[in-house]
Amino acid sequence: MSVVARLADLSFDPAAELHELTRAAAGDGAVVSFVGLARPDTAEGAALEHLVLEHHPSLTQESLEEIARAAAERFDVSHIRVVHRCGSLTAGEPIVFAAAAARHRRPAFEAADYLMDRLKTEAVFWKREEGPLGSRWIEPREADYADRGRWE
Amino acid sequence: MKVFFYGKLASAIGPQLEVPIKAPCSVGGLRRQLIATYPQVAESLQDDRVKAIVGETVVGDDHPLAAQDEVEFLAPVSGG
Repeated sequence: MSVVARLADLSFDPAAELHELTRAAAGDGAVVSFVGLARPDTAEGAALEHLVLEHHPSLTQESLEEIARAAAERFDVSHIRVVHRCGSLTAGEPIVFAAAAARHRRPAFEAADYLMDRLKTEAVFWKREEGPLGSRWIEPREADYADRGRWE
Repeated sequence: MKVFFYGKLASAIGPQLEVPIKAPCSVGGLRRQLIATYPQVAESLQDDRVKAIVGETVVGDDHPLAAQDEVEFLAPVSGG
């Protein structure tokens, strides 16, 4: 079982990450991946200038590792791969890649779903949108907390 | 005592403060002192989701503080 959890301070290529995972998962029957992208509009409907993801010098990496390990332990998967940006992003850039490989598809789907619900509400980042109307801190929505609650 | 802030807390009062405390003091006591002293973060600091960290570990409000401890307050996190 392998777990990769990486904090990326520069742009990463989701296709390359998927390629790496698929190569490592040789012998498995299922690979499921999710990519989160910076949307082009802010919550107010204005054009996004930057999405800024602040992080903690040590707790952010720890949170990514803990969430990835928890997915690997909970589901019948062989590989978990999480890559998460920090720093400043522009519209369309990938924020997060969360993926699982398994012998069969069901645990791979569930692990990827679980990863995202936990990353949305527990990964140690502070997110703010910067646009023409100024800067706005983004927090998880009620639905994000409800989704997280599904796994308890 | 050195107190560090992250996220919207840091936007409001800066990333670091030197806060005079009277020992013995708990994290909860420090939190209440900050709420009383800094109205611009009073509401945020009362949010259950704001975590206090001492020595890289999440601690509760009853955690006792030593004079040389450094405390970090993390605003509610949001990943993905």
